[in-house]
Amino acid sequence: MGFWEVTNSLLSGFRSTCLMFALTLLIALPLGLIISFGSMSKFAPLRLLVKTFVWIIRGVPLMLQIMIVFYVPGLMGVSVLPRFSAVIIAFSVNYACYFSEIFRGGIESISRSQYEAGQVLGMTKTQVFFRVILLQVIKRITAPMSNEVITLVKDTALARVIMVEEILKTAENIMTKGIIWPLFYTGVFYLLFVGVLTLLFGCAEKKMSYFRT
Amino acid sequence: MTILEAHNITKSFGSAKVLNRVSLSLEEGESLAIIGPSGGGKSTLLRCLNFLERMDTGRISVRGEVLYDSEVPGSEDGLREKRLHFGLVFQSFHLFPQYTALKNITLARELLVKKQPSYKDRKTELLEQIRSDGLALLEQVGLSAKKDAYPHELSGGQQQRVAIARALALNPDILCFDEPTSALDPELTGEVLRVIRSLAEKNTTMIIVTHEMQFARQVADKVVFLDDGAVLEYGVPQEVFEPPLSERMQRFLSHYTDQNL
Ligand SMILES: Nc1ncnc2c1ncn2[C@@H]1O[C@H](COP(=O)(O)OP(=O)(O)OP(=O)(O)O)[C@@H](O)[C@H]1O
Ligand SMILES: [Mg+2]
Repeated sequence: MGFWEVTNSLLSGFRSTCLMFALTLLIALPLGLIISFGSMSKFAPLRLLVKTFVWIIRGVPLMLQIMIVFYVPGLMGVSVLPRFSAVIIAFSVNYACYFSEIFRGGIESISRSQYEAGQVLGMTKTQVFFRVILLQVIKRITAPMSNEVITLVKDTALARVIMVEEILKTAENIMTKGIIWPLFYTGVFYLLFVGVLTLLFGCAEKKMSYFRT
Repeated sequence: MTILEAHNITKSFGSAKVLNRVSLSLEEGESLAIIGPSGGGKSTLLRCLNFLERMDTGRISVRGEVLYDSEVPGSEDGLREKRLHFGLVFQSFHLFPQYTALKNITLARELLVKKQPSYKDRKTELLEQIRSDGLALLEQVGLSAKKDAYPHELSGGQQQRVAIARALALNPDILCFDEPTSALDPELTGEVLRVIRSLAEKNTTMIIVTHEMQFARQVADKVVFLDDGAVLEYGVPQEVFEPPLSERMQRFLSHYTDQNL
């Protein structure tokens, strides 16, 4: 296999990597926000439930979670999920829990007086949150979020424990033909992807540098 | 006409009684200064009036309408609308950092006006009105040139003037100030006090918690001396500041001897 041929087949694996990344973010970001509200709830039983859930998800290896989502329904006699969906569910829930803690930290770091300033102006709690608090939170959590998002790029490689195609798996397939260098070549794809993300996060930080919190 | 009547306000935090049966009333166009030692309950009183703190007992009426009465169940309803009778200017401004000076002033009204039934048809006209009112307020506090500045680009005194304009934007019946100059460098207090003074001259109904004794004496129509959660003195400045002084008042004022009462 020549360089271009390898590049081409790696690209098809990379497409799957990107798709997993994008779908996971799309689900995990709003889900994380909802979980963070749960973990800040004034209703103690809900708060406890959510916190326990976050503890479990953060305490168990992601690889194991992927296997649980894929294999356990079958063991219980329920219909098995498609491999790709199982991966997306495991990733989304796992990352949502990590995000939720970042969101919670961000939200709780905004001083109460910002809420009060909005309230005395007759704003509803929802208005205060979305019009006053949220952007300040986003600004504060950009750096920790960039960490998580970059980790996600590389965690997609875990999908291959249930035989989902992604770039590393593609390289392994090529390896069975006795060519080993494509495995190391995948590193370039990851690096480029993470490079683009780093630039995007840099842009976002710059965009929000017009105000200080 | 009596605009505000606060009756027997009591508030405790845990076992600490912070306000003990505080009553006061205010005539339309009057300004009331609240003075007293630190921890006396001044801020808590303002926060109760603005419903940021829930009083344990007491009644608040504005223009004869009872806004809150701890004896009447259901008093909690519609607190958000009831708040609009009051405006509050905080000690450390609390402007919204991501909005310009002008937007800080117009934001709340822009959100409120959405509930008008005619909003959809007259949107541009209404928003234009809010904007020009906002600009007029900025002019009033002497900051027209800073309309596009963000809070962190303004000095403390300028931020506080924007905060005053922001509170005025909703046309509250009673404007409350909680030590509006205490977070400012001495050379910046003047510009803020001037704005408040000019509001007093326009007969804005105000309650001002302040440690500026001279200002309280000159500007306020009435003065309340609040110590340990209770009103110890209440009257026109001449009465409150002039001898014979109560022993507590004497002790309190002795901290201000340099201020040339
Ligand atoms: N949220 C709270 N929880 C517990 N105690 C409180 C709370 N807010 C105020 N207090 C207490 O209530 C008392 C009155 O506080 P308050 O802030 O009203 O005083 P103040 O007259 O405004 O004082 P200062 O001049 O220092 O601003 C203080 O003893 C304070 O510790
Ligand atoms: Mg205070």
